[in-house]
Amino acid sequence: MLTFFSMSDENTDVIQGTLDMLILKTLSLEPMHGFGIARRVEQVSRGVFKMNPGSLLTALQRLERAGWLDAEWRQTENSRRAKFYKLTRSGKKQLESETADWTRRAAAIARLLKAEG
Amino acid sequence: MDLWRQLTYGLRRLTHRAQHDRDVAEEVEQYFEEATAAWVARGLSAEDARRAARLEAGSATVAREQVSSYGWENLARSFAGDVRFAARQLWKHPAFTLTATLTLALGIGANTAIFTVVQSVLLAPLPYQNADRLAVLDTHWTNSGHTTPRVTGPDAADVREQARSLEAVSLYYGGNLSVELRDHSAYTVVTLADANFWRVFEVRPMAGRLFTDADAHGAAVVSEQFARDNFGSAQAALGQVLHVEGEPLEIKGVLPAGFDFPGKTQVWEARALREPALDHRTAFNYKAVGLIRSGFSLKATQAELDGLSQRLQTAYPDENRNKQLIAQPLQQALTGDARPTLLLLWATVGFILLIACVNVTHLQLVRSMERQREIAIRKALGSSRGQVMQPVILESLQVSLIGGAAGVLFAFPAVRVLVAMAPKELPRANEIHLNGGVLVFTLALAVLTALVSSMLPALRAAKVDPAEALKYDISRGMSRHGASRLRDGLVVAEVAATFVLAVGAGLLLHTMMTLMARDLGYETRQLLVVDADAPAHSEEDAHRAVQQFNELFGRLASVPGVAGVAGIMGLPTGLYGSNGYYTVTGAGPVNVNHSPYADFSVASPGYFETMGIPMKRGRDFNAGDTFESAFVAVISESVAKQSFGNADPVGKQIRCGLDSDKWMTVVGVVGDVRQDSPAEKPGPTLYMPMTQHPYYANQIHIVLRTDVKPLTLLNTVQEAIARVNPSIATRYTTMDAMVNQSIAVERFRAALISSFAGVGLLLAMLGVYGTMAYSVAQRTFEIGMRMAFGAEKGAILGAVLGHAAKLACGGIATGVVLSLTLARLVTGMLVGVRPMDPVSLGLAGLLLLLTALAAALAPGWKATHVDPMVALRAE
Repeated sequence: MLTFFSMSDENTDVIQGTLDMLILKTLSLEPMHGFGIARRVEQVSRGVFKMNPGSLLTALQRLERAGWLDAEWRQTENSRRAKFYKLTRSGKKQLESETADWTRRAAAIARLLKAEG
Repeated sequence: MDLWRQLTYGLRRLTHRAQHDRDVAEEVEQYFEEATAAWVARGLSAEDARRAARLEAGSATVAREQVSSYGWENLARSFAGDVRFAARQLWKHPAFTLTATLTLALGIGANTAIFTVVQSVLLAPLPYQNADRLAVLDTHWTNSGHTTPRVTGPDAADVREQARSLEAVSLYYGGNLSVELRDHSAYTVVTLADANFWRVFEVRPMAGRLFTDADAHGAAVVSEQFARDNFGSAQAALGQVLHVEGEPLEIKGVLPAGFDFPGKTQVWEARALREPALDHRTAFNYKAVGLIRSGFSLKATQAELDGLSQRLQTAYPDENRNKQLIAQPLQQALTGDARPTLLLLWATVGFILLIACVNVTHLQLVRSMERQREIAIRKALGSSRGQVMQPVILESLQVSLIGGAAGVLFAFPAVRVLVAMAPKELPRANEIHLNGGVLVFTLALAVLTALVSSMLPALRAAKVDPAEALKYDISRGMSRHGASRLRDGLVVAEVAATFVLAVGAGLLLHTMMTLMARDLGYETRQLLVVDADAPAHSEEDAHRAVQQFNELFGRLASVPGVAGVAGIMGLPTGLYGSNGYYTVTGAGPVNVNHSPYADFSVASPGYFETMGIPMKRGRDFNAGDTFESAFVAVISESVAKQSFGNADPVGKQIRCGLDSDKWMTVVGVVGDVRQDSPAEKPGPTLYMPMTQHPYYANQIHIVLRTDVKPLTLLNTVQEAIARVNPSIATRYTTMDAMVNQSIAVERFRAALISSFAGVGLLLAMLGVYGTMAYSVAQRTFEIGMRMAFGAEKGAILGAVLGHAAKLACGGIATGVVLSLTLARLVTGMLVGVRPMDPVSLGLAGLLLLLTALAAALAPGWKATHVDPMVALRAE
């Protein structure tokens, strides 16, 4: 319990505007259900980013309607029915453009911070 | 964004709501199960794992709500819910709904009907090819400011040859003429036009061909209806011969239905481009219409006409002095006269709608005050301003839309009644119908009405302070001051608007009464009028016609019941007539800039006596005045005064350009008449005997003064005419009917504005009643209290009536100010009445005060019957 509270003192919010990109990136490896995505983002980011299910599932709906994801109900490995999301072709394209955009901006920010130092 | 997915997903969700909710619930549940399982895998107990998952991810219910509220369909659903709620509220308050809907139906319906007429007549383009390039030529005198819609042949010919901006110019004239077919003759609108007419209008015949420059005379084109009525079909009419004024015409072509320019023409007779007989620069025998060359504007044409007018003034200093040619869009020329009347009607129905809106606003205010508690509670629970205003606006919108729909249904018959009632001078009457444009207008009007009438109530709802509102209790008589002031203000506005309508109606009715009671200069009662048209196309024919008419007058005079009979070309309010300049010899005030002007009439002996026109000096025409004897004339008093001053005109010489240059000796002076309608001033008239002007004496009115009802003599008169000459075309009416017809426009205006004022009055009455009834109901407790302390019934009734009277007086005062500003706009429509007519103002004020008191009587009565015990106990 104690560890949990100490963790929540740090900011674990997903950076604004990057939620979509993180979801798309995560799904580019394999189809996953909502919790799978949340867990993977947390693991890969080493706990820096945590996703709230309400925001995550709403974002999934939005991406699905945008045509970047397809969804279907399937069994999980422990035979539980779950909604799995899969990247579509236009989702892939979207991920590429968002990644490129992010890289460009992150590099710019890094340069700025360095220049200041 | 994938719009298609957005739409289909949203729609699927709207139609399969339960399924979608289950899916969302399951997905969230699965998420939390997995999260819990993950904590268990890390070694927590099942119970701790569940708690840890909730601490980390929050509540499953919140997550579910958040996911479920995504999507446009949620907004749509909540809006639909609000709409349904508003509908339910309306259903639960039938009295409010019905009153508001009917009020708006009336207001919107009246507006739709009038706008239909305005749109079809004033706004819609003319149904002709190149309608926006058609223009008519008028002649304007720069010295007097007078404009006539006519031109002279030579002036127009110069325009035709010199104005480069005009592609074609056509001259035409005509009117109601007798058309003879094989077995009968009938009055028909005939237009005599040159072949350029078709270059201007570019009509395509449905059968045969149009006449060309080669068909100078003897050719005609007829309307589809004329062909069908007289020959069975368009094809059958081709090659047939008809006679107009005795001249045989072969039908060369038939025009499709819908083209009847000018003025319901049925027969178009071919004329040469120039007719020497009518060629004179002071003879305004023609109307002219031209087609502006594409790429040129009306302004360019006017500039050319300005230059040309200048050149003509120099070239013909006598004939063309001060003469200026003017081009005017055809649409404006056709509808210009109807414009003020239609705009007046439009403004009037605008007022009606305003009153209707005020009534509905008031009804809504009453309703929203009743639900102040509901609104306060909603606000206390956290509804935003918008959320509180929305139901008020939605309710209003529904009422307006239903009212608008009902209004459109009401407008259909209303338009038909309007067209049927309209004077026949109303242009384009056959083109009037409800169309898409009108429906869009009505829809916009309904929405606007909703917004206007719900604005105040909605804003008030938004301002409700929950803490304050919950403390007040309306049934305890504790209303806030602002509320009743606002309602009073609305009643004042309503009374003011109605007052303006009532004043308008009063002014127009007063005008009508003035016109009907006017001394016209002749006696209209018991006067049978026969339009008689004897065919004549040569000098001999004309002389014979006059002879036959004289013989006829003798026979008709002996018919029992006939007290007098005479013939006249130029009967007041009649079909025929002429006018122009004249010159006199001898002394008299002469205005160098202005030749004296008069109406010209051609009469038989006995005309003045038959008509009851007083003979002031000298003698009437008699059998001794023949074509061979010296020419004579009788003048009216205005001619005597303007040309001879105080000198005795009898024996003086006078000359006019009617048909001969001969000097005429004035033999008599008669009283003036109001020539075109009772609205005219009594004017100068120059009378000449039929025998001496036979060209103007074959199309006449026969007037018969009768001792019996005029129309009972119809058969006897017709038999007598047929015996003298069966080819004389006839039509019967009475002088009363003709005079009535001549003030049809004034009557139409007065009737419509009065009905609208009546509607306004009814609405205002409803408004006052509503306010009074509401305030009495609201103050029941207070009234009961006062009565318990011994207040007299009279005092309580007086208080209610006094309040109503105060509101009415406020409204009347505001209305007087409004009327003062608006009355100037109708000055042109008033005859014998000043715009600030104190009688109309006074009557309107009295009417509104009485209406307000009448409306307050029932609530006042109710107030005096409040039982103190019941009122104080009620809760």
